[in-house]
Amino acid sequence: MEDIKIKIIIPFPTNRAAQIAYDVLRIDPEPKRNHIKKEYVLDDNILSVEFCGDIAKNVRTALTNFYESLILCVETQDQFGPPLSEEYNYY
Amino acid sequence: MVITLGFEGSANKIGVGIIRDGKVLANVRKTYVTPPGFGFLPKETAEHHREKILGILKEALEVSKVEIKDIDVICYTKGPGMAPPLLTVAIAARTIAQVWNKPILGVNHCIGHIEMGRLITKAKNPTVLYVSGGNTQVIAYSNRKYRIFGETIDIAVGNCLDRFARIIKISNDPSPGYNIEQLAKKGTKYYPLPYSVKGMDISFSGILSEIEKKALPHKANKNRKKKVEDEELPSHEDLCFSLQETIFAMLVEITERAMAHCGSHEVLIVGGVGCNERLQEMMGIMCKERNAKLFATDERFCIDNGIMIAHAGWEMFTTGTRMKWDEATITQRYRTDDVEVTWDVASDE
Repeated sequence: MEDIKIKIIIPFPTNRAAQIAYDVLRIDPEPKRNHIKKEYVLDDNILSVEFCGDIAKNVRTALTNFYESLILCVETQDQFGPPLSEEYNYY
Repeated sequence: MVITLGFEGSANKIGVGIIRDGKVLANVRKTYVTPPGFGFLPKETAEHHREKILGILKEALEVSKVEIKDIDVICYTKGPGMAPPLLTVAIAARTIAQVWNKPILGVNHCIGHIEMGRLITKAKNPTVLYVSGGNTQVIAYSNRKYRIFGETIDIAVGNCLDRFARIIKISNDPSPGYNIEQLAKKGTKYYPLPYSVKGMDISFSGILSEIEKKALPHKANKNRKKKVEDEELPSHEDLCFSLQETIFAMLVEITERAMAHCGSHEVLIVGGVGCNERLQEMMGIMCKERNAKLFATDERFCIDNGIMIAHAGWEMFTTGTRMKWDEATITQRYRTDDVEVTWDVASDE
């Protein structure tokens, strides 16, 4: 049962900025007890994330946590960017 | 020449350090200080770190005068610690690694303390006492691992001190442990407390309950007929003194036993509680009796900092440790003996 679905679509100024946010945010697994399915899709400069779950409270928590991480990632890019390379070259 | 940048933020300290082959270039830190009577909670701590981390990074870069192109690897604390603050730091570290196109390396917090301590004090192969707000371990190196000889079976020694500071509502600025230490200097009367060494392990939660009863008898015994007058209450100074003497004696005992077992003649104290001068003094007396040498650092390096992560990362990186991008996550549980030591600590027999 995954009744509740939220999809957020975030446009970035460049493809690389979206790529960075995608790579930075996608690797953390959701806590197991949260029972949330999270799916990241990257399409050029658009990052979209879909949250699915059956308990509204958990979906909201997952969403809030995601926003906090996203904002930090974007601020970091703003203050220390623009990216020095078009792609990430390590492992 | 290898330059590493380290982010630390597993508890209420947030720090960035930059190091070049053992030379400290920058060590910037901020502490999330809560009002008296209150501890730091994961969510609020993470919020504090989110606010400060980028400013601290900028300051560290300015102080160090390194150019971004000269930095070789970005290190961050992978664990152990509180999840929200760890995650905050990991997100910033990952973004920086991507923006600057640098490799990333997750470091074990405990290993960070040990390697930092060895670097600063030049201890070669010490028996390590790691005492902080979240950890209490006696550690010795053997066969590519830092082995845990003894540890707390409930709360950490620093947690016991922090919580006692909250019970008697003393200031958390600069740290509860520091303020307890200052009060204890004025204490003269020793109140007996439970002494709970269990083999090589130790326990602090019972001591905390006992001292809470002594500090707040009204709360502990509501039905008591005879009202306790304020004059009868033990002074905070005496309680702090009694608490420190008891728990530090326990720590010295297990450290001494680990030394005897390993035939070690060096002790290194690391972690936030390690900057307590009374603990250093007591350990020093034991070391003198055993003809051993004591190594300790001051608050710049004892208390969590970015340099320890940068330096442990440096040791790992220069001996070939690499981390895949998808492994650059965090973990709340990450034991000291989970880490394979790839660098030279002592010649293995």
